[in-house]
Amino acid sequence: MSSFYDSNLVLIQATLTGLVLALSVQVPLRMGVFSFAGAGSYGIGAYLAAILVLKQDAPALVAIALTVVFAAFVGLLLGLVIFRLNGLYLAMATVAFDLIISVIANNGGTLTGGATGLYGVITDFTMPTMLVLTLVALFLVALSERGRTGRRVDAVRDDPELAASTGIKVRRYRLVAFVVSGALGGLAGAMNVLVRSTVGPLDIGFGLIVLALTMIIVGGSRSWKGAVIGAIIFTWLPDLLTVIGDWQELVYGVMVAAAAIFLPRGIHGVVVDVKKWVQRTRRDREGVPAVALQDEGDRPTSLEEAVQQAESVDRPAGPPVARLATHSEVK
Amino acid sequence: MQDLVSVVTVGSIYLLFALGMSITWGTIDILNFGHGSIFMFSSFSAALVLERTELGLVPVVLIGVVVGALMSLLIQVVAFEQIIKRAKDKRAAEMQILIGGIGVAIIPLAIAQNHTRSNPFGLSASSFKVDTWVVGDLRITNVAALTVVLAVLLWAASAVWLRRSRTGLALRSIGVDAETAGLMGVDRRKLALATMAVSGAMAGLAGVLFTFSLGAITPESGDTLLVKAFACIILGGVGSMVGILFGSFFLAAAETVILTQTNGSWVEAVSFGLIFLVLLVRPAGAFGRKEVRRT
Repeated sequence: MSSFYDSNLVLIQATLTGLVLALSVQVPLRMGVFSFAGAGSYGIGAYLAAILVLKQDAPALVAIALTVVFAAFVGLLLGLVIFRLNGLYLAMATVAFDLIISVIANNGGTLTGGATGLYGVITDFTMPTMLVLTLVALFLVALSERGRTGRRVDAVRDDPELAASTGIKVRRYRLVAFVVSGALGGLAGAMNVLVRSTVGPLDIGFGLIVLALTMIIVGGSRSWKGAVIGAIIFTWLPDLLTVIGDWQELVYGVMVAAAAIFLPRGIHGVVVDVKKWVQRTRRDREGVPAVALQDEGDRPTSLEEAVQQAESVDRPAGPPVARLATHSEVK
Repeated sequence: MQDLVSVVTVGSIYLLFALGMSITWGTIDILNFGHGSIFMFSSFSAALVLERTELGLVPVVLIGVVVGALMSLLIQVVAFEQIIKRAKDKRAAEMQILIGGIGVAIIPLAIAQNHTRSNPFGLSASSFKVDTWVVGDLRITNVAALTVVLAVLLWAASAVWLRRSRTGLALRSIGVDAETAGLMGVDRRKLALATMAVSGAMAGLAGVLFTFSLGAITPESGDTLLVKAFACIILGGVGSMVGILFGSFFLAAAETVILTQTNGSWVEAVSFGLIFLVLLVRPAGAFGRKEVRRT
């Protein structure tokens, strides 16, 4: 085990930063905010942490804390500026934001090291700290998917008008999405530069957006589990695919395209569907009343599913809204 | 003056490339992120053919146009039609198309990168040679002249066609209200396929001409152009034909100004900054009439 750990340390570290980066794009997506700003925050985080360490001799944890706060603040500003935009326009504005960050990094002179970037960022940052930080971030994100918060987030995504009419402050939720995305992106960037010790403008370009997006598309966009699946697949696959050598990228492309077209909710979505199907067949066989089964796999992940589930339950038909109300508990 | 020539040349490339994207986005609601890959791969296919046989200008351009149209059709049938079929509403479909386009675009990029080892490739093997004409103190290459003429002609043709012809009217009606258009007897699938094919053909044409005028392009150059084309479309307003003309040449002019006034490394920021600024100040663009949807 320990030899496995030693020989794969780089990959393990890459999995952790990849996971946090994926989360930074996934959190807004889950709230229906189509923002790729997480990649830009990653750039901010990586550069700021490197500058703090190189120029101010900041200890690793101080650098990370400052970076996360700053990236979250930039996220808030960005959110305030572009909250009016929606859909494709929002997506492209955030892509522009990410690319502007990389151009600034390229032109920052001695502060950002220009085209060569910054290197020699060596600190007391250790693997256990990294693991703890990642797990804390993951835990907080997972927490936001449960209970009342989780249901509100689902409502904000699936039907903002309905959510607003039930008293959810949709705009505030969307701003929070920007802030959280900024903090997570900053964390991912800072951790990456602290373990890699270098960062350059090429690391934070269009490719980073595509990477974060591919992890979520293939893994699944509705749950932190999807981000975990995606991060693991796209960090470890190159190692496993050395057999086919040069054609790795092609396999990637086919995988991502197929997932984007046929599995809109990613591998995690498939797992959930399979679980549901297994439960349904078991339920049918044993004749257990369906209402009793409200555990993990059976919980609706969207309003449509809630309605479908409500409809599949054998009870007197009412108007759809009434049936929905029995499940969603939106206050 | 020489700067003006380069503005017009670069603007024409942007126009050729962005025109197809603008039409598909403005009418059939497809923002095709595979457009950059089509652009690059058409030129790459021509380069592959030239490795085997020597061809002149016309056949090379034709290869680019045909490959571009076929790729675009393929993406439409394999990816976008499937996504639209499965999506629950229009908003979800738009997003899924954006993501699907990014996913599909990786495939041609991977093939080209694999073959060229990420090095630039060119069309210098063609029997057509780039010539420079000197008029007064202006220098114009024959490729640049051809690009400008073709871009403006194609732009004018599609603008007139969209405005005057019955099919153009049908296509525009899809952009306004797809469902009603369908009820009025517009064959949405056929029109969407035709539009995608034309759009891809123009991307292919732009790819070959761009490669000729630069000498060589890298497999990744499609991505950069994609964001720039988006800036052109946003600047002028989605779906507006005058807008796309304005946007392309405005972006080219702004970039040239930055290029001549600074050391050049800020050029990339122009298009990104413009996207941001226009979306904030006037999301409908300079010539857009359609209200941008907001919640």
